[in-house]
Amino acid sequence: MKKKMGVSLILVWLAVAVLGGCGNGDKNTITFWTPLTGDDGAYMDQLVKDYNATNPEYKVKHVITSDMYTKISTVLNSGKGVPDLSIIHADRVPSFVKQGVLEPMTTVMQAQPELKEDNYLPQAWATGNVEGTQYTVPLDIHSNAMYYNKNLLKKYNVESFLDDDVVTIDEILSLQGKLDEGDYVVNDALLGWVVLAQIQNLGGGIEQDGKPAVNTEAMKQALTEIKKISDAGLMTPFGEDGYLMFQAGNVLFSTDGTWSSTAHASVEGLDFGVTNIYSTSADTFTNRASSHLFSMLKNEKRTDEKEQAIGQFLEFIREHSIEWAKAGQIVASKQVIESPDYDSYIQSFFTSNDKEIESLYIYTYEYYPYVAEAVDTYAGDIVRGNVDIDETLVTMQKFVEDKIAEGNSGAK
Amino acid sequence: MNKKSLTPFFFVGPHLILFIVFILLPTIYGIYASFTQWNLINDPVWVGLANYKTILFNTESTFYSQFMNGLKNTLIFVVLSVPVLIIIPLMIAVSLEHKKVKMKNVIQSILYIPGLISISAAALIWSLIFNKQLGITNNIFGSETVWAANQPYAWLIIIVITIWGGVGGNMIIYRASISGVSKDLYESAEMDGAGPVRRFSSITLPSIRFPLIYTFVMTTAGAFNVFGQPLMMTDGGPRQSTTVLMMYIRQLAFGHGESIAGMASAMAVLLGLVILVISALQYYVMNRNAS
Repeated sequence: MKKKMGVSLILVWLAVAVLGGCGNGDKNTITFWTPLTGDDGAYMDQLVKDYNATNPEYKVKHVITSDMYTKISTVLNSGKGVPDLSIIHADRVPSFVKQGVLEPMTTVMQAQPELKEDNYLPQAWATGNVEGTQYTVPLDIHSNAMYYNKNLLKKYNVESFLDDDVVTIDEILSLQGKLDEGDYVVNDALLGWVVLAQIQNLGGGIEQDGKPAVNTEAMKQALTEIKKISDAGLMTPFGEDGYLMFQAGNVLFSTDGTWSSTAHASVEGLDFGVTNIYSTSADTFTNRASSHLFSMLKNEKRTDEKEQAIGQFLEFIREHSIEWAKAGQIVASKQVIESPDYDSYIQSFFTSNDKEIESLYIYTYEYYPYVAEAVDTYAGDIVRGNVDIDETLVTMQKFVEDKIAEGNSGAK
Repeated sequence: MNKKSLTPFFFVGPHLILFIVFILLPTIYGIYASFTQWNLINDPVWVGLANYKTILFNTESTFYSQFMNGLKNTLIFVVLSVPVLIIIPLMIAVSLEHKKVKMKNVIQSILYIPGLISISAAALIWSLIFNKQLGITNNIFGSETVWAANQPYAWLIIIVITIWGGVGGNMIIYRASISGVSKDLYESAEMDGAGPVRRFSSITLPSIRFPLIYTFVMTTAGAFNVFGQPLMMTDGGPRQSTTVLMMYIRQLAFGHGESIAGMASAMAVLLGLVILVISALQYYVMNRNAS
């Protein structure tokens, strides 16, 4: 009997030990969480490895965390296992600041004078600034981008579309009836982002006096303009994988992201280049973008020494993040994008002049995630004419308002 | 004496601890959260029955329409999938009992293995099979449809992958219970001139009554919790006609932007209640008919 009890006790002890093992590492380690689950994670691993090879006093431990935002809310609630440093997306900043879970970067910036606005792409830096306080240091901008198939442009003799770096919807429509069967002008990859870019092109916005503005003239016009492409039969058919169709060489333009360039490059025989997302007008263009930002979640146990060490790591990233360009991202550090090596990366197109840099638009409205969710949910059906546009815009507006109403009263 | 009465607890202890930590406490907390407005980060704010009122009665609200649409789609899935997930495994189990069937265990393994494959991997394979450009369906069978974007095809592919992954589990239960039925019964029935259909309905079915009830209840409860198949195969489309309730719940709690966990919890509690009531009804009706 004693023996059996002993075994049971060991089992229980083991369970406790295993569950208890979820704690944080030692105090000379910077625990660094990122949501970079894809290939991006490997490039970040390399950067961290390079940094640790410089033998800093505090080494960085990179933890790729799937479902990171869920886990963040869990650790913030329990106060245990809060990472020292984490990468968050630009659209999370306003709500995190409102909820009071972000530590300002003040100490870090004091320790590292080069971590300053002038050394980064302006919108990437500004997105972490809320009412004068800097909460984040940017790693990159990742943007909507339009890839083109060079052979197809030549075949249809439309290379002139690229002359002014703006492909207009009218130019796209001019190809109506001229394509071989099975060929299309654009696909519907990241359609929601394309819609959000047109809103800027049309001089619209997604908020008015802090309230969400989804059911607007600009939104309607943006959707109507894109719908014209679909109605003309020039967009890849509904429900089909337009991204794959581009890689298969059947689509002239693919509206996906800067990070896709590595995947496109691995397709044999696909000769492609990159330009701006198509626009409603030849005078203006916008590429809806987001940003990966270094941030520190509130944690009382984080010492000043550790914050200084984090500063060292961020300074290292600022100087050496050319590695990050391999992931296809637009690096935020000016030192990197101004170096000659960076020009060999296809995404350097988006930082080639001031107008291009300006075109990278990051929405900073507090409730942008809800607006984006509404657009992603409904835009496809509107553009394909599956639903009535006016009715659906009302539904979308209500969708965002209802969600905000729930969130608002929930916060302190 | 005292020592003896404690012993059982050491045996159930590990399970009990895991049950309390991972099921009981989260359930209680989830029910509590359903009475609050909560963004998962700040403290929950008690709102009483407000979430339930919105979901069930406020016809204007987005959450009302999401809940109703999600519940409707979930019910469609349950109605479509549960009967086939009972009948097909039962048929396979019965036919595998036939004397002339060889390599029973190999066949059983082949049918069981899909259930072990993760739903995301399986969905990738199946979405390629049904892909309009690359897939077998369109290239060999000449179908011109984009399956995931049109009804009723969207439901069809969800059901196909569900059956493919789901028959094995129930089949094993049926096989095990059929093999427990005394062979004498079949032999004497055969001597009395009973045909295969009669033997199935008069001997097999009554003998495996409890496994049948069990699988029926469990399969139904499982079907109500459907999430992976529609998420991976159709992403809820076309026009949210395959967006099941679990997808809305997850979007609200862990989707874009600030979490709306209170509302999500209320929906989850309501879904739990529906499952509870339907399972109890099934058990009651089947058990009564059986006796």
